[in-house]
Amino acid sequence: MFADGLFIGFAVLAVLGAVGLVLFRHPMNGAMSFVVTLISLAGLYALLSAKLIFALQLIVYAGAIMSLIVFIIMFLNIQPGDLPQEETKLFYVLGGGIVVLPIGLFLAKIVKSLPEHSTEILGNNFGGVKEVGLLLFRDWLIPFEIVSILLLVSLVGAVILAGKRGTTK
Amino acid sequence: MSQLDILLLVLRVAFGAFVPLCFIAVLVWMERRGAAFFQDRSGPNRANICGFRAGGLVQNLADAVKLITKEDIIPDHIKHKFYFVLAPVIVFCIALVSFAAVPFADALIINGKEYLMQAIPTDLGILWFLALAGFAVYGIILAGWSSHNKYGVLGGLRAAAQVISYEIPMGLAIISALVVYGTVNLTEIAQYQGQLLFGFIPMWGVVLQPLGAIIFIVAAFAEANRTPFDLAEGESELVAGFHVEYSSMKFGMFFMGEYVAMFTSSAIIVTLYFGGYQIPWFSTETLVNNARAITVLLMLLTPAFAWVFALWMAKNNKSHYDRPNDPRVREAQIYTKILWGVVAALEIVLFIYLITVSGGVADRILVTLLQIVTFLVKTTLMCFVYVWVRWTLPRFRYDQLQKLGWQTLLPLSLLNIFVTSAIVVALS
Repeated sequence: MFADGLFIGFAVLAVLGAVGLVLFRHPMNGAMSFVVTLISLAGLYALLSAKLIFALQLIVYAGAIMSLIVFIIMFLNIQPGDLPQEETKLFYVLGGGIVVLPIGLFLAKIVKSLPEHSTEILGNNFGGVKEVGLLLFRDWLIPFEIVSILLLVSLVGAVILAGKRGTTK
Repeated sequence: MSQLDILLLVLRVAFGAFVPLCFIAVLVWMERRGAAFFQDRSGPNRANICGFRAGGLVQNLADAVKLITKEDIIPDHIKHKFYFVLAPVIVFCIALVSFAAVPFADALIINGKEYLMQAIPTDLGILWFLALAGFAVYGIILAGWSSHNKYGVLGGLRAAAQVISYEIPMGLAIISALVVYGTVNLTEIAQYQGQLLFGFIPMWGVVLQPLGAIIFIVAAFAEANRTPFDLAEGESELVAGFHVEYSSMKFGMFFMGEYVAMFTSSAIIVTLYFGGYQIPWFSTETLVNNARAITVLLMLLTPAFAWVFALWMAKNNKSHYDRPNDPRVREAQIYTKILWGVVAALEIVLFIYLITVSGGVADRILVTLLQIVTFLVKTTLMCFVYVWVRWTLPRFRYDQLQKLGWQTLLPLSLLNIFVTSAIVVALS
C-alpha cells in the first residue's frame, strides 16, 4: 500500500530526526534534524487527512518557530570551541536508553494488544479548514478563547521582561 | 482513474512545474529590458544566433551557458558543506513548489466531473503558500551561516530578520482578505472575484481590500528580497550578502530562485487581489455560453494585434545608422513572417473548432485556455510592477525597513482587520 509506505517513511524520518536532535553536537545540526522531525509529523497529519493541522504544523512549528531558533543559532555564531566538553555523553545516552527501554517495550505491548480495526478516512471533508473552524467556534469556543488569552498573557509577559532589562541598564 | 484523469493530472503538474521555469527566462529578460527602459538605454542587444536576437532573449542563453560552464567552487574554509549545497536547493525548490496551489483557470468540468486547475488540487490554498513561505527563510539563513563569511552572515541575518518580520503584516493582510472571501481555497477566492459590485465593478480584492492589497504587495516585495528591500545583498555594504561565496550554478539557483519567487508571489497577488484568472465582466459561465461569439471575436482581433505588432517591430528593429543590407531589418522581416504563420495556424485551429466541435466540452476547454492566458498576462503585468519598482525606488536603510514593517504596516493591517470585520458583520 502506498499510504503504508508513506507512513513508514515519515515515521522513520520523525524518529531519526528526534535522535539526531539529541545526539548531534553542533546546535545547527540538531536544529535541522528537528526540522526534519517536524516536517515528517506534518506528513503524518496529512496521512490522517487532517489538512488544517498539516498546514498549521508547517506554518507555525516548521516555518516560524524553527526558523526563529535557527536564526538565533546563526546570530550567536557558535564555534566548536564554545561547546562544552561532553566526555560522559556516551554514558548518558546508554543510561537514558536503558531507562527508556522498559517504557518502550510497554508501549509496544499496548499497541500489539490493540484489537485490529480496518481504518478508513472519514468523509465530509473531515479535518478541512472549514470543518475544524466550525467545531472550534461552535462547540469549543470557551476553551479556544481561554487558550488564546493564555498566549496573550505570555506575549505581554515576554514584552515586559524584555522591557525591564532595557530600563535597568 | 480514467485516462482523462491521468492526462489532466500530468497536464496540471506540468503546468505548475514548467511555467514558472519558463518565466525565469521571461523575467530575467524583462528585468534587463525594463532596467534599460527606465535608464534610457538599449539593454541587451548584441548576443545573437545567426543574427537573431529575439529582442534580447538570446542573452539569457549566453548567461546560462556561462553559469553552467563556470568552475563550481566550494571554498576550503567552509565546514558545513552539506548545508552550503543544500541552501540554494531549498531557495529554488520552495519557490517552485509554492506555485502549486495557485489556480490558473476556473475548475474545468468535463462529463460532470470537476477538475481544479491547480498543480496540487488541494483546498488548502493560501495556507500552502504561507507554509512554504516560511521555509524559504531556511535557505537564506543556511546560505549566510554556512558561507562562514562576515558579509554572508550579515546578509543572512538581515534577510532572515526582514522575511520574518514582514511575514506578520503579510499574514494579517491575508486574514482581512479571508474575512471578505470567507474561504482559504484559492479557486473559490478567484470565483468570488468574478462577481460584480453594484452590477458594474468587478469584485476584485483590490476594490474590496485596497489597504490590504497595498500591505500585501509591500510585504511580498520584502519577502522576495527585492529592491527597495534588498538590503541583504546591498552591494555597496555587503558585496552580495548571503550568496557572496557561491559560484557557478549554485549562484544560478539563487538567481533563478529569486525570479521564481517573484513569479509565484505575483501569481498570489493576482489571485488574491486582481481577480486571478477572471476576465473582468465575463464570468466563466458567460464565456462558455457565448463561446462561438468569442471565437469569432478572437479570430478578428488576433490579426489586428499581429498587424500592430508587426508595424511596431518594423519601426523599432533597425540599425540607428546607415548599413548596407541592414541585418536588423531582415531579422524583423523574418519575425513578421513567423508571426503571421502563428496567426494563420491559430485562425485555422479556431476555424476548425468553430465548424466541428464547438458546443459542449470543447467550449469549456477553450474558456480554460482563455483564462490561462488571462492569468499569465495579469501575472506578467504584476511582475513588471516588480521590475518597475526595482528601478524606480532607491534602497531603504535597514532601520527604516524595520520601522516600516513594525510601526506602519503592522498597525495598519490590524486596523484593516477590525474595519473589514466590522463592515462584513454589519453587511451580513
